[in-house]
Amino acid sequence: MGLDQDVGAAGGGLDDLLPAAAPRAGSAGPSRAVRLAVGAVVPAALVVAWWAASRTGVLSPRLLPTPGKVLDSSREFLFGGTGGSRVPGVIPFKGGAAIHLPASLSRWLVAYGLAVVVGLPLGLGLGLSRWAAAALDPLVQAFRSVPITAWLPIALVWFGFGEGAARYLVFIGAFYPIVIATTDAADRVPHQLVDTARMLGTPRWALARRVYVPAAMPGIVTGLRLGLTLGWTSLIVGEITGQDTGLGAMMFAAREVSQLDQIIVGMIAFAVIGLLGDLVLRAITRPVVAWADR
Amino acid sequence: MNGVADRPALVAVDLAKSYGAVHVLQRISLEVIAGDLLAVLGPSGCGKSTLLRVLAGLEPPDHGRIEELGRPVTGPSPERPMVVQAATLFPWLSLRANLEWGPRARGRPDPEAVADELLQATGLAGFADALPRQLSGGMRQRAAIAQVLANEPPVLLLDEPFGALDAQTRLRMQEWFLDLLARRPTAVILVTHDVEEALLLGHRLVLLSHRPARVVEQRDIPLPPNRNRATLADPAFVSLKAQILGQVLET
Repeated sequence: MGLDQDVGAAGGGLDDLLPAAAPRAGSAGPSRAVRLAVGAVVPAALVVAWWAASRTGVLSPRLLPTPGKVLDSSREFLFGGTGGSRVPGVIPFKGGAAIHLPASLSRWLVAYGLAVVVGLPLGLGLGLSRWAAAALDPLVQAFRSVPITAWLPIALVWFGFGEGAARYLVFIGAFYPIVIATTDAADRVPHQLVDTARMLGTPRWALARRVYVPAAMPGIVTGLRLGLTLGWTSLIVGEITGQDTGLGAMMFAAREVSQLDQIIVGMIAFAVIGLLGDLVLRAITRPVVAWADR
Repeated sequence: MNGVADRPALVAVDLAKSYGAVHVLQRISLEVIAGDLLAVLGPSGCGKSTLLRVLAGLEPPDHGRIEELGRPVTGPSPERPMVVQAATLFPWLSLRANLEWGPRARGRPDPEAVADELLQATGLAGFADALPRQLSGGMRQRAAIAQVLANEPPVLLLDEPFGALDAQTRLRMQEWFLDLLARRPTAVILVTHDVEEALLLGHRLVLLSHRPARVVEQRDIPLPPNRNRATLADPAFVSLKAQILGQVLET
């Protein structure tokens, strides 16, 4: 990610005190295009192996459908049929993308937003205040060991078979990485930076916003990324039961009729959307963490 | 001898500090007036840095008192900043934003102008938009000193500020610093283990003992002003250096 941004106006009349981090041409490594190409080699090889194994009969379609079949189903899922004419109680696959993707995405993003809004201040508080840490940290550490699936029954009791339970599970999944990473990052802010800020006249109340948050930002962003993906993977637990929309609901409906190709389409959708979400988050947060790049 | 300038900018009386059973400072008294540079010389690990942190208000003394311009010192203040060996610029901010931090934090009217002046004074005008990691060690150190000078503090505390630099860069920095100070009324306390640095920069010298640090000697440094690299070869400098070095080795 972070090469290519050095000071334009280096040099010029300044004794021999050269910049320490002059352009890092030597350490830049392969270019972006080359890295993308290299990154595509292994997945492409796996698809070819999959195709060959299916073609030669080594791999039974009962265990794994052919790549062609999965491709057809993907097309069907995305563009096939009408999502409009829905039969109540039936979870559609054909053209289902128009129903399931918005349902899953909104659960994910709403719950993730909530996890950020609650998790960031809590993590910051735990990192900055010994008292807050003493009071709350044991609880946070204990509760984060409770698996997402273990939350499902009680989430159903609390929220019923609606959006609430699914959102709650996404929230739980995203919440802990955000809290832990933020706590840790705030805790590790070099004390010298805080001393310097105070000796420059920064009032105590402004230290969190002006020093701790910016200095901890690289760690916080790591927590935001982990939380985004863990929230996304937790979503399926909430969509197993009581939902007739969402990628998880679609996949479990497909399992009941043994449509392996449809299940794989769901898995691919999870993977692609998770990847895109991470890329978007990294692009958004890039301006506030670029200073910490090598 | 009764002008405001002769009133001590910083006075410390009878400072003592321990960490548990380890006595670090033992009854240290010193003072520094405006425009004066007090060099505090002592062996490594003697408690020099602790002394400076206490003077900065970052740690309270167990005993004794500190006053700046007649007011008791109770905590860190922009009137009495400290710069340490590993310069602490804010790594996410440009050099210019680092220099503007102090005036902005204190609500001063024209932070940009202050930064401009300091960029000139540090010879870093071409690096205003650079991040700290894009600067060399010497540049960062100059910038860190400039950063705290933006608030025009009456007292400046320096803890081996040039200690991490190579010998040539250090000498250039010392000359730059002498030049910078010549135009300011700042009272400086410089902590160092380097006899040469103490004598080149200091007007007065405080010699500390091994831990627990106490004042072994206080004396003037009888060298002419306007010092620079040529001073190092001055016979008066050379003989004084030999004498002080002998004292340091005996303490």
